[in-house]
Amino acid sequence: MGSAAAILDHDAELMLRVKEGDGFSFGLLLEKHRAPVIHFLYRLVQEHGVAEELAQEVFLRVYRSRSSYEPTAKFTTWLFRIATHLALNWLRDRKHERGQERLDDGPGAYSRQISDRRPSVEQQLVYEVRLEEVRRAVAALPEKQRAAVLMHKYEEMEYTQIAKVLGCSESAVKSLLFRAYETLRARLAHL
Amino acid sequence: MINMNCPMEMGNSELLVAYAAGQLNLEAKMTLERHLAGCPECRSLAAEQAALWKALDAWEAPPVSPDFDRRLYRRIQEEVRHSWWERVSRPFRPMPLRQALPLTATACLLLMASLLVKHPGNLHPVEPRAETVRVEQVERTLDDLELLDQFSTPGQVESTGSGTM
Repeated sequence: MGSAAAILDHDAELMLRVKEGDGFSFGLLLEKHRAPVIHFLYRLVQEHGVAEELAQEVFLRVYRSRSSYEPTAKFTTWLFRIATHLALNWLRDRKHERGQERLDDGPGAYSRQISDRRPSVEQQLVYEVRLEEVRRAVAALPEKQRAAVLMHKYEEMEYTQIAKVLGCSESAVKSLLFRAYETLRARLAHL
Repeated sequence: MINMNCPMEMGNSELLVAYAAGQLNLEAKMTLERHLAGCPECRSLAAEQAALWKALDAWEAPPVSPDFDRRLYRRIQEEVRHSWWERVSRPFRPMPLRQALPLTATACLLLMASLLVKHPGNLHPVEPRAETVRVEQVERTLDDLELLDQFSTPGQVESTGSGTM
């Protein structure tokens, strides 16, 4: 089993050590994947607090599943599969609760999260408006398209890995991304 | 020749996406750029995709909260403590009635069976014999026997038997 994990990836090997009770290896996995998972979730749900809560649940589930873990796929595929599943469920629950997607938080909600580089008030304003448009355009995508774009663009995942995370074929992922980028290009053409 | 290799016509738009993302190797990049030079449609799409890529690049995620790990480890500790307590307390927890009834019935049956094996007589208790015999009772019995002797002729027995019994 250990050699199988080594063929797959180093993360799977670390996870096998976690399975054997090595807490240090869990810490290494957390250190490596904490930010990518939170950032992915943040861009998917677009609420920082919720993204961190969901990420907590992701790593908690990883820890809970340690005893039954089998390195049948790349560790990140498994990790992002959990993250995507939780985020899409959260989005669906919220949609049911509110009746519609909450996209009208206004740019002020996000502006607090922008980094401190402020060359000028005008540039800052332009940056915020553009960012808000990007945010809204991504949020308006259907859930699977959104998840596919975020994994492809920000996590630089291969089509095959995205397909495994989303539980669909590689050609379906290509189709999802083609449509998603087409929509985004049309919406953000003026930027 | 250009149309034959056109990624859009070949249904290979991911090639243009990969080009815009800077993910193509040098050979593939040069081949595509030769095609782009003569294909305005692909050139336009590649430019739009590159612009989109740049716009998406600007979307930074906020930094992770400094107490993220502490919160996570606290939850893990709580879970570990909870699961430990679960394991220890499980045998002592009250069972649901549906599970408890058959178990109780089985336990009772087993108890009765073990009692049967150890003390088989106890299930049919015999009335305790009188330890002391009254003198009057003995005398009365002897009197009765004498009376029976007196009426021991067959005819007398028949006539008195049907009357007393």
